[in-house]
Amino acid sequence: MSIAPKPRVLIVDDEERFRITLGKLLGSRGLEVKTLGSGREALRELETSAYDVVLLDVKMPEMSGVEALAAIKKTYPNLEVIILTGHASVDVAVDIMRLGGYEYLLKPCPLEELIDKIETAWERKRAREERLSRLAGPGGSDRG
Amino acid sequence: MRLPEQNPLCLLDYLPSAMMVLGAGALWIQGPRLLIPVLVLAGFGSLFSVRRLQAEIRRTSEQRCLLDQQLIQSQKLASIGELSSGIAHEINNPLAIIGQEVEWIRQLVGQAAGSMGPAESEINDSLQEIARQVDRCGEITHKLLDFARKQEPLIQRVDINRLVEDMARLVEREATLHNIRIERNYAEGLPASRTDAPLLRQVVLNILNNATHAIGKDGVITIRTRERDDAGIDIQVSDTGCGIPPENLDKIFDPFFTTKAPGKGTGLGLSICHGIMERLGGCISLESRVGEGTTFTIQLPPVSSRGES
Repeated sequence: MSIAPKPRVLIVDDEERFRITLGKLLGSRGLEVKTLGSGREALRELETSAYDVVLLDVKMPEMSGVEALAAIKKTYPNLEVIILTGHASVDVAVDIMRLGGYEYLLKPCPLEELIDKIETAWERKRAREERLSRLAGPGGSDRG
Repeated sequence: MRLPEQNPLCLLDYLPSAMMVLGAGALWIQGPRLLIPVLVLAGFGSLFSVRRLQAEIRRTSEQRCLLDQQLIQSQKLASIGELSSGIAHEINNPLAIIGQEVEWIRQLVGQAAGSMGPAESEINDSLQEIARQVDRCGEITHKLLDFARKQEPLIQRVDINRLVEDMARLVEREATLHNIRIERNYAEGLPASRTDAPLLRQVVLNILNNATHAIGKDGVITIRTRERDDAGIDIQVSDTGCGIPPENLDKIFDPFFTTKAPGKGTGLGLSICHGIMERLGGCISLESRVGEGTTFTIQLPPVSSRGES
């Protein structure tokens, strides 16, 4: 099993300028980044490409971040999802934790803190994958 | 904010009725020669009764007035909370974008280091200031969201003297630097209370911080705890600070009301304390004299009237 040197991150936010600049900032720190503007686009992207961590906004048109999180976790349970939102509420936070979201960060969030959370989420995903591959024996793999 | 104590039912309230009954009995047994003394006695009794009734009506009306004030304050806080939480949400997204753009420009300037001449340090200074102001706005929006958040209290057994002392020690180091002395006057044998400790700590710390700010330099903060007659507990914090002008007393618990310099306070601290004390089933009140100081009283309800987790 090959381990990528840096996490592959998918940023999903309907605020174009936010996702583009965040993509450039994370990219400048060596992370492999793709940015998308909706939950539906994210689900289509995940069908064809593998990622380690998804950064999801909550308030998006068509499909909310919470709905996207539920759909992602249903198909790719090992993929770590960090919610990054300006819309904090206890109900949403509880939903996110219940659905298996890794972290819930409130905008504006310091870049270093965000990178730290991404790294930790990625470590957790790798640890889980390694455990699963040991359990599955040689040739065992897990998607997402 | 504080309600007057309820008077116990007094035996004197039954005096006029008792006199009328006795008078009627005497008239029936002794005949009409007792009519005048009985009428005089009944007249005095009625007069006494009317005066007590008037006092009772006045007290009830005052109580109602205070309850109305509390209700208006609660409704005002609730609607401002809802509005401010909506505004905070909408501001957080553009704030995040500004913060990121600053970070990106910093990186670009860093890559071009040395080739920009004297303007480079000016640009870096400006970027640092923008980042600082973004952080400041972020703190405000996050506090607004805390203010609007309805966190259900988790009620546990709490030693109030211990809780207050922990907060006093936190503030004491800073206070001593400004020659502010903290005097303790804790009630001995205070029964354990049942309340949400982290929420109450937030209130006590806020009040103690306000007391040190009100004094500024050279003064005394006195902390008292006591058990009330209704078995509730009072925590009082008095300072020898500048005091609050009468025209500001009504606004002191309003969100965003502050007399501190711009950037030194959001004006949300006491509003949050007021909201917390309501959720804990108690209240917070103050008395103040300009030039003499202020006393805040945090009233915790009796154990029997508090919710259990």
